[in-house]
Amino acid sequence: MARSKAELLQMLSDYVFEMEDEEIGSVAQEYIDASHDPLDGILEGLADGMNRAGKMYEEEEYFVTDLLICSDAMYNGLEILKPHVSQNADEDKKTHKCVIGVVEGDTHDIGKNLVKIMLETAGFEVHDLGRDVPLRNFVDKAKEVDADLICLSTLMTTTMPGMKDVVEMLKEEKLHKDVKVMIGGGPVSQAYCDKIGAHGYSANATDAVKLAKVLVGLDA
Amino acid sequence: MNPRDRLLGALQGAKLDRVPCICPGGMMNMIIAELMQKTGIMWPDAHADVEKMEKLAEAVYEYGMFENYGVPFCMTIEVEGMGAEVDLGNTKIEPHVISYILDTVSDYKNLKSFAVNEGRAKVCTEVISILKSKDKSVPIIGNLSGPISVASSLMEPVIFYRELRKKKEDAHRYMDFVTDQIIAFGKAQIRAGADVIAISDPSGTGEILGPKYFDEFAVKYLNKLIEGLREEYKGIPVIVHICGQMHKVYGELDKIKADALSFDAIVNMKEVKEQMPNRVIMGNVSTYALEFSDKKKIQSITRNVLNSGVNIVSPACGLGLQSPLENIQAILETIEEDSYD
Repeated sequence: MARSKAELLQMLSDYVFEMEDEEIGSVAQEYIDASHDPLDGILEGLADGMNRAGKMYEEEEYFVTDLLICSDAMYNGLEILKPHVSQNADEDKKTHKCVIGVVEGDTHDIGKNLVKIMLETAGFEVHDLGRDVPLRNFVDKAKEVDADLICLSTLMTTTMPGMKDVVEMLKEEKLHKDVKVMIGGGPVSQAYCDKIGAHGYSANATDAVKLAKVLVGLDA
Repeated sequence: MNPRDRLLGALQGAKLDRVPCICPGGMMNMIIAELMQKTGIMWPDAHADVEKMEKLAEAVYEYGMFENYGVPFCMTIEVEGMGAEVDLGNTKIEPHVISYILDTVSDYKNLKSFAVNEGRAKVCTEVISILKSKDKSVPIIGNLSGPISVASSLMEPVIFYRELRKKKEDAHRYMDFVTDQIIAFGKAQIRAGADVIAISDPSGTGEILGPKYFDEFAVKYLNKLIEGLREEYKGIPVIVHICGQMHKVYGELDKIKADALSFDAIVNMKEVKEQMPNRVIMGNVSTYALEFSDKKKIQSITRNVLNSGVNIVSPACGLGLQSPLENIQAILETIEEDSYD
């Protein structure tokens, strides 16, 4: 007997949460074949599973490597569901845009990648500049895509000053009010955030999403 | 008591006139812009030139920053030796990898064996032998990048971490190969005269891996590395520095066969001492405070660190290049004041 929509949604969520990154494709396909709404599948299935994984991460039951496999499962499901989402389904909703990257001189991008995954799960349009990013590129990209947010990450004390430089560039271009800057990474702190005039600091990927929502004016 | 005997004593957990104050080098960077200006020896030159590297390492001790010499000033020599492309940076930016050479752990056979008698590895060991020939009272620390950090710098870290689960057997073979290369570099440093080896494995944290994988991949290969060095150099003192929160992995951490464990500023040293009462602990003056606060604040932080019961005082991470010299000097000054008055 065919599974109900509710059952399939639960399976999509569970397969993300339980890191079934290979098996999830067939569930997503079954969901589509039964003509259920793909957007529901993404939001109530895949994203729900990723959010549950995020909660476990906050509670220190899941670790970074767990979240990476969960996100593989999410993206594998997304690959099947997304092409079926009709173009105008979410047109009336404003998508918040975010530019993200690891500042110049640093190549540690695990934290940045996690924040990217969690922001995408939360519905942000994320433009990822990668790691070791020349500081100017953050501002240029933010202007190009009309971003609401710039997310800067570094794991090294030595490259932290680059964050301040980005804030200064935004001030020079009078973009500091329109483009919010949030920062994170091992040596970074709220005190440093206040010191350089960034708009917010978060200690981990799930807090980063809450902060991003507050900064762009969405409910956290 | 000279600084060398003091550090070697502290590493054995001996009772001493006072605790030593060191900064190993490698990932635990001890070079600051002010020191480069005062000596006229600049990065990136000092990463690849015997005389410059040697003079800058010496200046760290001469300017009363720390009671040790330490080289190299980066954590890229191992990956460069295995074929990754490295940008040596500039006076503001440390050397870093700019291109990965593996797509998957399974391709580890394509890696070059690390020729430790060539290139910057040779620069580093030559510096160690010169330092050794000059002054025998200051301990020389040779620095190595830890197995997980090297392995995750040769390929995209996300793929690496994923494949620890998905391609477990190949991941172990890859880690084995990488660890053997690091052992070769470590042995060359000891042969040249390093008194102590410091291993920094910032990418191999409990926070990233979780207890199970921390044990299976970080602890296992750190111990293989330490044992590999000791196979030829029995009793060579080893310090291991790990970043991030530790409270989920104390049990696994305690298996690491290093003489001393070093932690970053997020870790509560009193808790560490309670959890692992018999371990020699090194740490953890906040590098953020060293860069952005003042001398007075550093004095009080240093006293807190001393009170927490550490056996060796050191910065919690690599120094920020803009850290003021007087802030750094304040650590050692405070230790001396408190110990002899």
